[in-house]
Amino acid sequence: MRTPLVLVASLAVVGLIGVAHPRPAHADVKIVATVPDLASIAKEIGGKKVSVTALSLPSQDPHFVDAKPSLVLKLAKADLLIAVGLELEVGWLPSLQTQARNSKIQAGGAGFLDCSTSISVKEAGNTDRAKGDVHPSGNPHYLYDPRRAGKCAKAIADKLAAIDPDNAKTYAAGYAAFAKRLDGARADWEARLAAYKGAPVITYHASWIYLSDWLGLDQVATLEPKPGIPPTPSHVAQVIKTGKAKGAKVVLQEAYYPDKTGKLVAKKLGGAVVSLPGGADVGQGESYVDHMDQLVDKLADALK
Amino acid sequence: MFRPLIPMALVAVAAPLTAHAQPTPAPAPPPAPAAAAAPADDATAPADDAAPPPGDAPEDAAAPDGDAADDDEDLSDIEAALADDAAAAEDARPAPPQGGLAGAAAALNPDLSFIADVAAAWFWGDDPMQTGDHDPQVNGFTLQQVEMSIAKSVDPYFRFDANIVFKDDGAEVEEAYATTLAMPHALQVRAGKFLTRFGRLNATHPHTWDFVDQPLAFGRVFGGEGNRGAGAELSWLTPLPWYTEVLVSVTDPHGEGTARSFLGASDRALDTPLDVQTTAAAHQFFDLNDDWSLLWGLSWATAPNPSGDATRTHVVGADLYVKWRPITRASFQQVALQTEWLLRRRQQPAGTITDLDTYAQLTWRFAQRWGVGGRWEYGGAPAFTGATVVDDLDPDWTEARQRATAQLTFWPTEFSRLRAQASVDRPAWRDPVWATFLSMEFAVGAHGAHKF
Repeated sequence: MRTPLVLVASLAVVGLIGVAHPRPAHADVKIVATVPDLASIAKEIGGKKVSVTALSLPSQDPHFVDAKPSLVLKLAKADLLIAVGLELEVGWLPSLQTQARNSKIQAGGAGFLDCSTSISVKEAGNTDRAKGDVHPSGNPHYLYDPRRAGKCAKAIADKLAAIDPDNAKTYAAGYAAFAKRLDGARADWEARLAAYKGAPVITYHASWIYLSDWLGLDQVATLEPKPGIPPTPSHVAQVIKTGKAKGAKVVLQEAYYPDKTGKLVAKKLGGAVVSLPGGADVGQGESYVDHMDQLVDKLADALK
Repeated sequence: MFRPLIPMALVAVAAPLTAHAQPTPAPAPPPAPAAAAAPADDATAPADDAAPPPGDAPEDAAAPDGDAADDDEDLSDIEAALADDAAAAEDARPAPPQGGLAGAAAALNPDLSFIADVAAAWFWGDDPMQTGDHDPQVNGFTLQQVEMSIAKSVDPYFRFDANIVFKDDGAEVEEAYATTLAMPHALQVRAGKFLTRFGRLNATHPHTWDFVDQPLAFGRVFGGEGNRGAGAELSWLTPLPWYTEVLVSVTDPHGEGTARSFLGASDRALDTPLDVQTTAAAHQFFDLNDDWSLLWGLSWATAPNPSGDATRTHVVGADLYVKWRPITRASFQQVALQTEWLLRRRQQPAGTITDLDTYAQLTWRFAQRWGVGGRWEYGGAPAFTGATVVDDLDPDWTEARQRATAQLTFWPTEFSRLRAQASVDRPAWRDPVWATFLSMEFAVGAHGAHKF
């Protein structure tokens, strides 16, 4: 059996040596983002110089995406992979990266961007799953904070300029335009919600801490007793008690979670459920700013 | 009732884990991602911004000790170049990772996880014929396995994966292989010891199986440990617009992982290079729409068998996996149909033996934490040609055997699983065996992602 082994090994070595194959300058930069919000931001920055796909839908819980082989195909051809990071995609992305056979988009490759490295992370250091399905490196739901999304956009622009230096100016301009639009929208959002600083809210999953951080909301309870553990009757009773004591009326949740419990709690508290898609519906032409706009609309409505 | 077993096993094997978890105050530069900008409000400025002590420079600048420099080379030039490199590496030193968690040396440790499977079983009927090595085989409790998975990138070119299984009778390296990450033309090589990618289930470990025990088809054709061996695999992701992967592997035809159809425990040497086990497979995947997926494949494996001087075994297989999981609306539901068919032909000195083995299973996850499943299995009667009239491997297996199984699963989280399973095994040549299993599974550590 030595001969075939040696053969295959030599083939492998020859293959490794021939690894450098620069991208032709005229082609689009193929970007794959793990979630739709990142896909939307990347598209706004890259414009016509890039083509962008998302690996998950806004209606999908990004913790539990199936590692479908069709996603392998997208990654195999990608020049840039943009991930949320902080173990959000740990259950599916590493397997896809390995199968993609694309050195660029491996962790540590020139075409891999973990956006969480560009922002300040909250809740890092949870390393005991007795606390639920926690993320040791920090809470990954930072895209609900437009300030952090802005930093993430800057990191995307810098990364694009690094892998496609010919179009660096386009990316810088794309970023500037996006940042201006985002800052303008943010000022508007902040103005609309300024009156609700300190307003108590209940959330389904611990995925809104960055939003609370940004708007100064007071997150008084989560319907999940611990991250990843579905609500239990005794816990929900406690949440209602806490909600009443703190005067909370709004339950915030992503639309991919069941909303029966949220509706029950909101009804008991005389408020409403704010149920939102997990990201921009890029397939329908929606952008990150549109998605946040929708969020602020619903939130302002519910907090009234 | 399982409590005392598991914590003991886990404590024993987890000891090295906790030792690794200690943050190392080493001054080594952190392996942070390139170009990571330091967050504005990162208060934990590292103390190692200053020039590293001699001999502790970043890898790029690691000086080759004297032996690398030939006499006729100009040492001063080399030193100047090294100094430049070191300075450049210092300039390019990325910001430290945040939170200190991914801190320095500890972050270089491989990802480790432990998975324990323990079961309580009761059989009605004489002499149950469970074929899997990790199956419960006797009345009472069974520690099916404690699996330790190790994974990490080796360098930009390879990643390393290993699965070491601890059982009551010892530990075994079930898999340990490297996978290339950077070969051109969508090629990939795996080398080491691995489960061959024959069909769908063979390359996976019990903790990804829907049922507590191994399908009869694999036990009969490949053995209780599935088909695996040391060797190398070359696979290619074709440029077709839908997912199509083809692969060929060559592996050692000896050992436990080839016990049933190939050389197994026989000490027969390989006469020609073609005497290795050769496996070839092709898989295609179709996104029927957002909610429906279809994966199917064909496999073939061949190697010598020990019955004669030049006798070989050929196994061909077909597998199909159809999954429905709505992702365009909020739902925890999943339905999956999985079936594999194996046709085996063994050459004997005086003829051939042919048998057909299959299973089909349907699983339904009907709630976030609950699922049910049913499985039907069939192991056909061996067909003989020539003067061969007895199957030495299974002399009693002269007629068809069928087994029907049902299971109920409860997942407290994705890191634990409780199952109840009942089955009736009906070999036509003997009395049926009824079996019930209760099984518990726990996973700790940084367990990696699974394939579809």
